[in-house]
Amino acid sequence: MEKITFKVQRYDPDKDKKPHIQVFTIPFKHGMTVLDGLIYIKENMDNTLSFRSSCRMGICGSCGMLINNLPMLACHTPIEELKKDTITVKSLPNFPIVRDLVADLSLLFAKHKSIKPYIIAPDMAEIEKPTAEFLQAQMQLEEFVQFAYCVKCGLCMAACPTMATDRHFLGPQPLAQAYRYSADRRDGGAKERFHETDTPHGIWLCHLAGACSEACPKGVDPALAMQLLKRAIISDSLRLRKKPVPPSVAPPQAEKKPRVAVPDFTIKQPGAKS
Amino acid sequence: MRENHLKILQYVTGIGIFFLVGLHLLLMHLAKGDPEDWTSVAQRAASASWLAAYILILIFGIYHGLHGVRGLILEFSLPDRAVKVLNYSMLFVGIAVFGYAVYIPVHAF
Repeated sequence: MEKITFKVQRYDPDKDKKPHIQVFTIPFKHGMTVLDGLIYIKENMDNTLSFRSSCRMGICGSCGMLINNLPMLACHTPIEELKKDTITVKSLPNFPIVRDLVADLSLLFAKHKSIKPYIIAPDMAEIEKPTAEFLQAQMQLEEFVQFAYCVKCGLCMAACPTMATDRHFLGPQPLAQAYRYSADRRDGGAKERFHETDTPHGIWLCHLAGACSEACPKGVDPALAMQLLKRAIISDSLRLRKKPVPPSVAPPQAEKKPRVAVPDFTIKQPGAKS
Repeated sequence: MRENHLKILQYVTGIGIFFLVGLHLLLMHLAKGDPEDWTSVAQRAASASWLAAYILILIFGIYHGLHGVRGLILEFSLPDRAVKVLNYSMLFVGIAVFGYAVYIPVHAF
């Protein structure tokens, strides 16, 4: 494979009524990613092409796109793995288009914000004037740690079939994060999050299609988080949920003892004979 | 009523339907004798426990079905006001269907 054809979605809201496809053929290099191809097009063929990218290593979550009809990170998708000579690149579905391949993710961030994605500590005095760190056992961390790897790329939201029909549906990313913070032993805000997600357009509209977990580039399983959130809400409603144990605070560090002076005879003097 | 209460009822009615439909299958298709015979129908109709079973399956079936339909309609991006209209419509339809359907077993009893 010496050449690769990119079918890129173009859309300029000032000129176009609806998105259209533009075709580019570029030279292929071993190890090239879809993002490398788009950067080549922008640098050498059409500098008006708009797309979002930053870290180029699957950490920032900026370059989420619909690649060959699947939501993926462009920087994380080697062209060779697609096993096709033609690659179709479009902006993420279920989001409005700002321009070309740039999706408007403000809806995702607004929904994410609505579920209070931060630790709401039961003891605010300790939060405001911390005396020490909160203790957390490894097992307690493992209850939610995989959901904490979310990079907010929006791929799960783009893959979700319920999001495609109901724009008010909270979506897999905010719901998974609602569980992530509610499962954190340091948190005391589960009730507030349950109230926010237990709505007609909330958690119960998830039909467990599993497309979100399939799409996630970080290996997070939002479908699992949503099932666990459903269980937590029902347990809480039936008063079967275990009362969260308030986090324990690590005791303040013991005062450091003065270091024992090194005996003189162990220190080599410069120029001294051994 | 919160959504989770409706969902809990959905699960409870689902389990209830499983057992009551099982009872129906046992009686109508697996039991000896002719359950559709006039005398056996009249015998069941005069029994308070059968009346309770009929009414329960009616309530469970109506709730389970209408809640499922509501879930389907909710996916059409309904605004809050339309959700309220939908809820009351479903309640009205449920009560009307129950009132109409419960007449036969109660009247026969």
